[in-house]
Amino acid sequence: MEQLILVINPGSTSTKIAVFQNRKQIFFTNIKHLQEILEKFERIADQFEFRKITVIDELKKAGIEFKKIKIVVGRGGLLKPIEGGVYRVNEAMIHDIQNPMGEHESNLGGLIAYEVAKEIGKNIMAIIVDPTCMDEMEEIARISGMPEIQRRSFLHALNQRAVARTFARNQSEKYEEINVIVAHMGGGISVGAHRKGRIIDVNNGLNGDGPMSPERSGGLPVGQLVELCFSEKFTKQDLMKKIKGKGGLTGYLGTNDALEIEKRIEEGDEFAKLIYDAMAYQVAKEIGALSTVLKGEVNGILLTGGLAYSDMLMNMITERVQHLGPVKTYPGEGEMEALAFNGFLVLNKEVEVKEYV
Amino acid sequence: MGKKNILTINPGSTSTKIAIYSSNDLVFLKNIMHPTDELEKFDKIPDQYEYRKNIILQELKDAHIDILTIDIIVARGGLIKPISSGVYEVNEAMKKDLRTGVLGQHASNLGGLIADDLCKSIKGVKAYIADPVVVDELDEVGRITGHPLFKRISIFHALNQKAVARMHALAIGKNYEEINLIVVHLGGGISVGAHKMGKVIDVNQALDGNGPFSPERSGTLPAGDLVRLCFEGKYSQKEILKMITGKGGFVAHLGTNNAYDVQQMVNKGDKKAALIQNAMAYQVSKEIGAMSVVLEGKVDAILITGGIAYNKDFVDYIKKKVEHIAPVGVYPGEDEMRALAMNGLRILEGEIEPLVYK
Repeated sequence: MEQLILVINPGSTSTKIAVFQNRKQIFFTNIKHLQEILEKFERIADQFEFRKITVIDELKKAGIEFKKIKIVVGRGGLLKPIEGGVYRVNEAMIHDIQNPMGEHESNLGGLIAYEVAKEIGKNIMAIIVDPTCMDEMEEIARISGMPEIQRRSFLHALNQRAVARTFARNQSEKYEEINVIVAHMGGGISVGAHRKGRIIDVNNGLNGDGPMSPERSGGLPVGQLVELCFSEKFTKQDLMKKIKGKGGLTGYLGTNDALEIEKRIEEGDEFAKLIYDAMAYQVAKEIGALSTVLKGEVNGILLTGGLAYSDMLMNMITERVQHLGPVKTYPGEGEMEALAFNGFLVLNKEVEVKEYV
Repeated sequence: MGKKNILTINPGSTSTKIAIYSSNDLVFLKNIMHPTDELEKFDKIPDQYEYRKNIILQELKDAHIDILTIDIIVARGGLIKPISSGVYEVNEAMKKDLRTGVLGQHASNLGGLIADDLCKSIKGVKAYIADPVVVDELDEVGRITGHPLFKRISIFHALNQKAVARMHALAIGKNYEEINLIVVHLGGGISVGAHKMGKVIDVNQALDGNGPFSPERSGTLPAGDLVRLCFEGKYSQKEILKMITGKGGFVAHLGTNNAYDVQQMVNKGDKKAALIQNAMAYQVSKEIGAMSVVLEGKVDAILITGGIAYNKDFVDYIKKKVEHIAPVGVYPGEDEMRALAMNGLRILEGEIEPLVYK
């Protein structure tokens, strides 16, 4: 039977929508919203009606048959800290979306999905998947050497999980029964230890933890950092910028563009090579660290995100970690595919749908 | 050849160990504990120099050891400039750097200074340091941090790590220079080093840099949170540095730097103590995993040493997490005193030439 999956992913100035037939994308559009229209709304949650109407118009224009849509999948936002997975959009979630913990466009995903599903027909389920706020970190992983500071989970959950599920399916295994380490490498880098379907430890790249990335510093020597904070040479904002935005490859090489850096390396730039290699080295060390969290029982090491398109970088990492488990690369981010994939799993009853409370 | 008398001095954060060796044999050993409230009277570590020296002289006197019979003094070196592994004679350049602490303040800075001072009253005797904490053999790639303002440096328990590594090599009939090891020193600070064919090519900067938390130190902290804490206005720079080195880790969570006390708390069913102790073992295990990657999985053995290596539960926790990497050997305690003495003996017997600190 032809069953369609509608995917809605709101960003700050646009809303991406896609329609999938099982795993195949048959329609995609990125609807740009005019800044002056968005600015009229006081809160992000208030943009919902406007974005919903736009989405429905686009679907009609594209001639999508509404009655064939069996499930609507929205990007999940900042809800309560919850375990990852697929959640049915329910009243409790709608309430929290309308009274959000923090303003973020991804909050709208669930809300639009819910309303669009209602409009399409009865009994059409709206879900969100692995929202940014998901947190499955074990108690032991939260402890830092200073009680004032706790380690927190924050990661590219959606893509990490989608890649892990894809790997599991290809191995004819259940994601919930295997252990994998996933390194998502984009502007930021998150490396997560997935134990039987739960991400029990992960570095928080946004917060200066773990390997450096194209734009972020990752972990820094703490004593020296404190001295800089009190040196009066830098404001708090300056230093936060070095951690997120102007750190990592950008800090050393003035660009976050891996292609540009590889070009320099090929032209013989030894410094660029050292820095690029250092990033690979740090990612590899993070993977090694997490292998002990899984007691060495690692079914796969999965490298994903935009940087996974780079053979040079993937080789630098693979050489160092291949003794820990089979290494597979899944280039790109594929948020829409990841959301659709989860809708597909729900329709196939391959994944549990959780209730948000 | 007659027996040689070697005095070794090893100042730690809360104690000073002294020992006399008659060539290979230990004839006197004393771990002089310094009460925290005594040490807190001193603003900076170099200020403790006179206090610790006088206690050492008193202990030797009480033990009826005639200082004039000593042939050589070997002390643990401190935070001087990064140097290669070996034995160095204490000279003016070194003393200056020990006093200022070019890489920071640490109790081991006092070793060379005290040794040098004691030498003055014994004719023809020289003072040396061996494998100080600043031994630096890092690979270039290991020095890079996530921002050019920061550099990773090598500060670790070089003396004990090297001594244990050599001891293990000897035990398995190999040269230290032909095997790969991960050595874990578990003391007031914790260092985990990747030894590749005799060189420590990566190691966490155990003093105030990164790595697992330890009984007294915070180890790695999320940089963003640390910056926020610094600008919050609640703590001074000095207070935060203290929370990183001295009052971090066990001290901050559980109010003691004594790992034995923590184990007692765990045994009595204290859940928080158990969580914190396990968290420390968890972080040590992660560091070992990271170092296994530095050695590309070619690891002959993982060696666990230092005082906390006596704690079987703690070591067992780590073993479960890392034994898939390589066999785990346990060398509890610190062989630093013997290591210092043997380095002294090698100098006296002309086996090795002392290096010159510049």
